[in-house]
Amino acid sequence: MKVRLGHGGNCSSIGAVVDTLFVSAVVSTMIFAAVAAAMTRESITIVGKTKPISTPPKTGEAKSDHADEAET
Amino acid sequence: MRLRFEPWGAWAKLDQEVDTPFGMRAAIVGLDRDEVRALGLDGAEAWTSDAPPTPPIEVHVAVTSQCGAGCEGCYLDAKPDGAHVPHDDLMKTFDALERSGVFTVAFGGGEPTLRDDIGELAIQAKRRGITPVVTTSGIGLTAAKVERLRELAQVNVSYDGVGDDYEKVRGFDGANAAERAIQMLKAAGIKVGVNVVLTQGTFENLSATIARAKELGACEAQLLRYKPAGRAASLDYLAKRLRPEQVNAFSKTLRELVAEHCDTDFSPTAGLASFSIRVDCALVPFFSADPELAGDPDRLTRFGIFGCEAGGALAAVRSDGLVAPCSFAGPTETRGDAIDDHDVDKTLSAWRAYAAAPLEPCASCTLRHVCRGGCKIVSSFVDHAHGPDPECPRVRAHRS
Repeated sequence: MKVRLGHGGNCSSIGAVVDTLFVSAVVSTMIFAAVAAAMTRESITIVGKTKPISTPPKTGEAKSDHADEAET
Repeated sequence: MRLRFEPWGAWAKLDQEVDTPFGMRAAIVGLDRDEVRALGLDGAEAWTSDAPPTPPIEVHVAVTSQCGAGCEGCYLDAKPDGAHVPHDDLMKTFDALERSGVFTVAFGGGEPTLRDDIGELAIQAKRRGITPVVTTSGIGLTAAKVERLRELAQVNVSYDGVGDDYEKVRGFDGANAAERAIQMLKAAGIKVGVNVVLTQGTFENLSATIARAKELGACEAQLLRYKPAGRAASLDYLAKRLRPEQVNAFSKTLRELVAEHCDTDFSPTAGLASFSIRVDCALVPFFSADPELAGDPDRLTRFGIFGCEAGGALAAVRSDGLVAPCSFAGPTETRGDAIDDHDVDKTLSAWRAYAAAPLEPCASCTLRHVCRGGCKIVSSFVDHAHGPDPECPRVRAHRS
């Protein structure tokens, strides 16, 4: 598991909180435990789209992605 | 939480802030495939070897090219006669961000608070499940404008230092306006941070800058490397960029700043727990001068430190509607309202390909997978090449 804390309020760079880099092992464990516990309390919504896997058409053939899917 | 499958597992953005030893914090969590399966989920086709690259998780959207501040180093060359991006165009971009499963949208420009509908833009982003944040100069902020910012998860004010440090970076004294804005936002109960651009003239005063920002009510300081883009792409850049000895001392300075201003020992009585320090992607190469961090890249990975994610986890939509790998980079052929088709864009693909297989000395660097080859905006300006970051200590040593 990796954890990025904070919203990030910046329009020019994808920043990262660095205080966490310098915490003790105990505090580091506490952060991960807190995040893991919080995850169990939330319902999950899947976002984004996963495009259908397309394979290159064979030479001389023009096939749609749909046709490829049907074959595989 | 919102979860998006990635080739290596999934990113998950928690809906609620987490009660950490540092206080309540938003969190984005990276889960490997086994951890995703433990949630009862499977990435299916997203986990196949030929799955397309996933879209960014954070997108910077320029909502206007208008700004009256006239900062000498404005990376977008924003001007007083710039124009606002039409609302309908932004909605189409937001729709594409939603389709892509983007977690965070950062409004920039230009000066975003010049738009009367900035609050409405934030509401529209949230309706699509996207967390909106914004950066402002703070100049001209009024009580009415502050109210419009209430829907933003965080507002960052550009604040480069006390006294004449602000003027050293931006060419005019806007420190008072920025300080007033921080106070107004804090008083309104809006989470406020500061963006601090590092230049050789202000680097030594960082602690005083952060102390002042905290005193005014900021909860976070984001340290930003000065970059040669827009009006800063001039010889003036060479006079303002950090000197090599400052670059080498960056990580030591960072440790001192964290020790002084943050509470890394979790002692609530110290009253420091609510303040955090962030670094931008372009500062990560400087960690190569720190034997402890360079020797333990997993530590950076565990805490989600991002180097150059341009074209990867990060993208920008310019005021002309075109997607760019990051806010400083030139445009691609993809429009913001089609950012969900980012995987077929040749320019974005090229940026990702270079980060995946950078040239030496990056190729053999322990921080390679975090740093991803350093800042390409700097290398393009200084070396005229999309290559290793010439200001990285490791690259400098390699070339000497």
